[in-house]
Amino acid sequence: MIDQRIYEMFCEIGRDLYEGNMISSHGGNLSVRLGDRVVIKRRGAQLGRLKPHDLIETRLDKNDSGVALASTELLVHRTVYLNTPALAICHCHPRTAIAFSLSRDELVPIDNEASYLLKKVPVVTEEFASGTPQMAHKVAEALKNYKIIMLRGHGSFATGQTLDEAFHWSSTLEESCQIELAVKQINEPFIEYRKMSESYNKF
Amino acid sequence: MPFVKLYANLRKLAGTKEVPITEATIGAVLNELVKRNPPLEDVILENGRLRPHIVVTLNGHNVIDFNMQVSEQDVIAIFPPIAGG
Amino acid sequence: MAGWSEKILDIDLSKKTYKTYPLDMEMARLFIGGRGLGARLLWEMVGPEVDPLSPENVLIFTNGPLTGTGYQTSNRFSVSTKSPLTGTVLDANSGGFWGMQFKKAGYDVMIVRGKAERPVWIEIKNDEITFHDASELWGMRVFAVTQKLGQNNNKRNVLCIGPAGENLSRIASIMNDRERALARGGPGAVMGSKNLKAVVVEGKERPAINDPERFKFLLYETRKLLAASPLTSQALPEFGTVVLMNIMNNIGALATRNHQQTQFEGAEAISGEELTEKYLVKNASCWACPIGCTRISKTEKVEGEGPEFESTWAFGAQCGIDDLPAIIEANTLCNDLGLDTISAGSTIACAMELSEKGYMDSDLRFGRADQLAPTIEAMAYRKDVGADLADGSLRLATKYGHTELSMSAKGMEMPAYDPRGMQGQGLLYATSNRGGCHMRGNMVGPEVLGLPKMIDRFQVQGKSSFVILHQNVSAAIDSLVVCKFTNMGVSDEYFARVLSSVTGIQYDTGELTRVGERVWNLERMYNLREGFTRKDDTLPPRLLNDAPTDGPSKGWVVQLEPMLKEYYRGRGWDENGVPKPKKLADLGLAGL
Repeated sequence: MIDQRIYEMFCEIGRDLYEGNMISSHGGNLSVRLGDRVVIKRRGAQLGRLKPHDLIETRLDKNDSGVALASTELLVHRTVYLNTPALAICHCHPRTAIAFSLSRDELVPIDNEASYLLKKVPVVTEEFASGTPQMAHKVAEALKNYKIIMLRGHGSFATGQTLDEAFHWSSTLEESCQIELAVKQINEPFIEYRKMSESYNKF
Repeated sequence: MPFVKLYANLRKLAGTKEVPITEATIGAVLNELVKRNPPLEDVILENGRLRPHIVVTLNGHNVIDFNMQVSEQDVIAIFPPIAGG
Repeated sequence: MAGWSEKILDIDLSKKTYKTYPLDMEMARLFIGGRGLGARLLWEMVGPEVDPLSPENVLIFTNGPLTGTGYQTSNRFSVSTKSPLTGTVLDANSGGFWGMQFKKAGYDVMIVRGKAERPVWIEIKNDEITFHDASELWGMRVFAVTQKLGQNNNKRNVLCIGPAGENLSRIASIMNDRERALARGGPGAVMGSKNLKAVVVEGKERPAINDPERFKFLLYETRKLLAASPLTSQALPEFGTVVLMNIMNNIGALATRNHQQTQFEGAEAISGEELTEKYLVKNASCWACPIGCTRISKTEKVEGEGPEFESTWAFGAQCGIDDLPAIIEANTLCNDLGLDTISAGSTIACAMELSEKGYMDSDLRFGRADQLAPTIEAMAYRKDVGADLADGSLRLATKYGHTELSMSAKGMEMPAYDPRGMQGQGLLYATSNRGGCHMRGNMVGPEVLGLPKMIDRFQVQGKSSFVILHQNVSAAIDSLVVCKFTNMGVSDEYFARVLSSVTGIQYDTGELTRVGERVWNLERMYNLREGFTRKDDTLPPRLLNDAPTDGPSKGWVVQLEPMLKEYYRGRGWDENGVPKPKKLADLGLAGL
């Protein structure tokens, strides 16, 4: 039985992701690590309107009951948990960030908040479909160094100690990309306000 | 009457340790508190929501839902960001 | 290689000789420095046959690659030894200036073995090591010795023991820079058993940095982050650590009167707010620290550093005492005598309960502020009632037939947080490798303060993941070595980046946490080799069976069993808490 408080956390953040235009009706995924187990959304469930039976709990290192129903991205989540200190993962489809990921190899925020919180977000390309070992490995490798990364044309993966934290990085990234888009539209010369600014790109 | 207890630098900002406020919910109590003590607003709230790391408790229990009802004898405590160990 | 001096100084007090040899750099890469490196060396040097207070035990002083570099809070160092209090692996860690000076002397590690025939003190000026006669210093208190040996913060730093260490009190600390302490687990007694009164260092070498440009940028970033965080820029400097008193009391997790209650009616009187308003003279800070949480307080009788939250609690709430000046004086007295404040306070509280219940014949009573100073004095000299208290609460309570009244885990007194109101903290105490300690992965962040995010403090399911992560991260930070408070403004990934820029070896956040996990498992293996078992991963019965009858934690006991089961599995250990061969192999610890 999944703890009521964990279920509520999934519901709240799932709904916020949907209402914040960070996912489509059936897109995205959330998971948390509980010791040697993982709680993850069931395949096909809608994050914006989760029901108690939409959450699946399975072992971290191997399959057990219920795993057939788990999201196709379970492998990615497991691989990330086994290779990083993460205790929660938020995977969503932030639209502006996805748009930028199509033409850039890294997203370097220009606004103050994201500069501090995220520093730099690498974009990972993976030709294989969602849920393959190759993709899982690439995502996990990238998340060893960054708390959030973009999968080109697909979406973001963010880690944290809590879902709330992983959600924080995700929404910060999307906000930052929207700001950058607006800056592009305004199209006026950029006034650098960060000291040692030349160092930011190579951090 | 329910009391709001303030700690650390909130005391200096509000000029008091305790404020009695009668309102129905925690959210309403907080709004009334910053209305009466404007210097607190920037420290506690950000766009109408609690700032990060501000801890609010109702009778020692963490407040998560700001629609929680407040009744007589209740004590609400507000802590600014603090750390230690 | 930048970051490490690659040199070990190995001193044999029995022969009054020393030698130097290179540090094994593969070992350094795996365990970094500080606590990790100390545990690794101790594993080889001190086996289960060694009595902690015999000449065969060793003191291993270590610094880390970041120590002395000038990175924020890079002032820390640690000492590893087998604990005379708990019999477990021990490392105690301290700030101030001595660690930075020790690094500048050109060593990563200083091993002290054997026992001097007569009291000695050692002077280190890079390659020049001198043994001095200390008969004149023996018996002197910490402040006097520190001054006499020429303490000068940025040039010459003194580390020493006080009378408590000389008298082999098992809760004696080693003091450095006058009022900084390697406090817990009784390292002062080990130093006393070796007839070593003091170690004075003057260093000339500047630690090398692999990528100065990247390092400089990280310094700049860290400075900004520490200034931007309300915790490191306001809360800690303004109120010090004792600001926690009110919140812990408010939520009903402030251990009171030897853990008989979880709230203290006198909390406000001993709070950080009260200290700041009435007794604070000024702030101070350790070397290279922009935070400055150190308090300099003054009463009619004394002026000195502190008191920290834990010390204030130990002599305050735990003893039922709400007299802040008396607490400040007790704290200063412990520093001067070289006693661990947490253990000293909690042992006095244990004696108070034993006496009130009539199990022990003494006039110690809860709330008696006037009894603090005389009792502490007696403990350091093993006089009168102090003879019973000098070795901590477990030995005291056992002597009087009530072991259950010692508020300790593995024999080390627990700090202020009552785990009945913080389930994760309970698991932390029970599994901590050096006993009841909050510095092994404090859960006060996530469970009480919302750092980085708030989690339910009463929740049991899933708690072990947080505890495991915090334990691993703490072990990594203790191996760098930097101050854990930096971590409140700067996330772990910065530490990985700084470590990479200093050493030239690429560490990512995951790898750094893995170093912590490696250290944790090694320490576990050490304790298992000493004969500790699953049965020792426990808490006093009071916390497991007696729920508070009022306050916000009313009705709660520590749900240890389910958490412990989940914890063992999450750690990759078997149901008896023994690391599985696969886990050890994964961590590069195969063959232990």
